[in-house]
Formats: sequence, C-alpha cells, structure tokens
Amino acid sequence: MDTVPLKAKDFKSGVKPIWCPGCGHFSVFNAITKAMAALAISKDDTVMVSGIGCSSRLPAYVDSYGFHGVHGRGLAIAQGLKVARPDLTVLAMGGDGDGFSIGGNHFLHACRRNVNLTYIAMDNEVYGMTKGQASPTTAMDWDHSKLTPHGPGVRPFKPAALALAAGAPWIARGYSGNPNQMAKLIAEAIEFPGFSFVHVMSQCITFCPEQTDWKSIVHERQEPAVTDTDEAAKLFLHDDGFMTGVLYRQERPTWPPPASITREDANAEQLAAAFKV
Amino acid sequence: MPNTELATFLAHSVELESEAKERYEELADTMAGHHNDVVARFFQRMVREADHHLSEVMQLAQQTELPVLKAWEFEWPEAEAPETSSYEAMHYRMSLRQAMTLALQNERAAECYYRQFAQRSADAETARIAAQFADEEVSHAAELERLIDDLPENGAHLLEEDDEPNMPE
Repeated sequence: MDTVPLKAKDFKSGVKPIWCPGCGHFSVFNAITKAMAALAISKDDTVMVSGIGCSSRLPAYVDSYGFHGVHGRGLAIAQGLKVARPDLTVLAMGGDGDGFSIGGNHFLHACRRNVNLTYIAMDNEVYGMTKGQASPTTAMDWDHSKLTPHGPGVRPFKPAALALAAGAPWIARGYSGNPNQMAKLIAEAIEFPGFSFVHVMSQCITFCPEQTDWKSIVHERQEPAVTDTDEAAKLFLHDDGFMTGVLYRQERPTWPPPASITREDANAEQLAAAFKV
Repeated sequence: MPNTELATFLAHSVELESEAKERYEELADTMAGHHNDVVARFFQRMVREADHHLSEVMQLAQQTELPVLKAWEFEWPEAEAPETSSYEAMHYRMSLRQAMTLALQNERAAECYYRQFAQRSADAETARIAAQFADEEVSHAAELERLIDDLPENGAHLLEEDDEPNMPE
C-alpha cells in the first residue's frame, strides 16, 4: 500500500513553543521539520538531543524521540546514543552558551571524533533564558547586560573556525531569516556521512533587538564548499561571519570504525570490551 | 498533455497560503503565551482567513497533479513565501496596529507575486487564475486598510510592560 508522504507540519509534536514571538529558533524548528519531510525520515528512527537553554527546548516540539539533557552535555549524550544505535538518525542541538561555553569541551571532541550525527548550534550571542547575559560569541563591546555594562571585553569565538581547527569534516552556516535555505543545509548535514556542524545565526529579538539588522548583512556563498583545509582556515579566519551555505566538506572515516560495534553489542559489558574501556 | 505551468503555479499558491496560515498560527499561539491577547486574537482571525484562501486554492488544484517540491525548491522573490510574516518584524509587545500593518504588507506582497506571475505567464489559463488570485489579495488588503483606519491613533509603538528585558538604564 502506498503511504502519503509526510509534510513538514506532520513532524511537529503539537506542543506549542514558548519562545518569544520573532525568535529565530522558530525558523530553525521549521527548517528541521522541512528537512525531515524532504528526506522522508522515519520519526521512529530519529532522535533530537539537546542541552539547556531556550533553543534546547526544541526536541519537545518535534514529533520524534527526544532527550532534553543537561547543560552543555547534548553532544555527549548524542554521541553515546549514535554509537549504541548507529541505525538511528541523531540530531544534537543547543545554543551558543550551551555549546561553546559549558559544553565547549564536548564540542571540540565531537568535532575531532567524527561520530556520524548532526549538530545544530543556534547562536544568538546571548544567554536568553537567564535574561540576557554575554555568551562566548557576544561582541566585545555589547553593553546591554548589567553584568557587563561596558561589554564583555573579550574577543568572541568564531564557531566555524573553532570547528575546523578541532577537525570537524562538514561545516555550514545558516540564518534564521532564511528557513528554506536552512532546511536544505540541515538535509545535507543529515545526509553527510560524519559529524556535520550547522552554525545558525538565530536572532534574539528580546535581548538583542539589533540582530534584526542581520537580514541586510547576510550573504549566501555561491561557490561550492571548500574541500582544502588550509583554504578553509583562511576563509573562516577572514570571513565576516555572515556568509551562509555549506562552507567546508571533507569526508574522512567516522568513529567508531565500521563493524566494531553493532546494535546487538550495545550493552555495557560489550561496549567496554569493544572499546577496551 | 498536462499543463505544467499551471501545475507549478498552483503548487506555489498552495505553499504560499499554507505557509501564511502556519506562520499566523504560530504567531497567534506565541502571542497568547506572552499575554498579548489582542494581537493573538487578530492573528487567530488571520489564521481563519488564510485557511479559507487555502481551501479555495486547493479546490482549484484538485484536478491538477501538482509537482512535489522540497521547501528550498520553491521560487520566491525573497527568502520566504510572499504572504509569510517575517520573524524579524515580530515582537511580543507589538501593538494591534503594528500587527495589522504587517498583515497588510503580507497581502500586498502576495498580490504583487500573483500579479507578476500573471503578467509573465505564457499560458492563458495560468495567467487568468493568477490575476484572479491577485484581485482577491487586493480585496483582503482593502479590508485590512479599513480595519486599520478604524483603530485609534498612536497605536504604532510597542506596548509597555512591567518587567523590561535586562537593558542598560
């Protein structure tokens, strides 16, 4: 019997998002469901894993399996899950504070480990859930928080450059003002055989209203993804941070090596034996 | 022989109206969640309007086999479908006048899209239907203009609140 293809809205759980109206995370949510519909992904074989923060609420809104983890640990949980159940499609997600500050170490090692999953970082350059403090990607002179009245005074991370330096094999940048392009990026990320990192500029309308200006600054890369690492390093160190598209792609072996573990092996003793823990 | 131009146009029309409806639904829910009830009710009204337009388009499309396009394969003048409210234009404290003005811009963008499609279409049937849709958007815009005219003055600013975001004093 033929089945009717699912539409993007069929991948929404029915739980109403409580983000602020205009929040860029709505756009990421819509892009994820559009990508899932386009790839005809099975809901039963997909897991969304997150940490803590506004963006980390997202798994509740998608009609799939989900795990709302602890702060900064979404990637650790997602990698463990993918290793134990390589048959699943795993998407990890969170914000800039969750991913680059408290979860920064997990991010670095996820990049170099290259487990076959997708990580979506929704970067609004601020801790929104705790009412607007500077994060690792906040501009040096952002003075909107009473905690840093003269700005944080330290240089922000460049997440794409960081990912490249740590060994991520697939890096893209999207923008919440363009959910259709972002859906394409996420679909490509899911299909990439390895760790795929989607850095999304996702505006915080409440604590960083100036980010609505991003719409006039963002520009789409027209060339294919860079495959040479040296060339990519130059691109990421010198780009303005507003270039969207698939920026870097270099296939390399994923971890764990094929056939070193199967779903049947996935119990603690066999995992320990397989990895000589 | 199937009319591919008509099928492509109708697929875009269904997507345009669906996206408009879904965005209004999203906005109505989230505005209600942020206790901006007046604007939430207006967006709920727009959901009903969009649903009505979508039903009409789908009825017209019933006899046509529409191409199945991925979200990024639709060709829009800008990043999103013309009648879809832009996230950048939103704020939880937006006034009714601001919400209505946004909806009016959406209707005008949809009219412009349909009108241009009608003008450049080489297929007479597609051009006729596109022009009909454009005219309908004009009537929706006129209704919104009437509603805006009936509003009291000075409603074009963000609403005040007791618990401001953490901004410099």
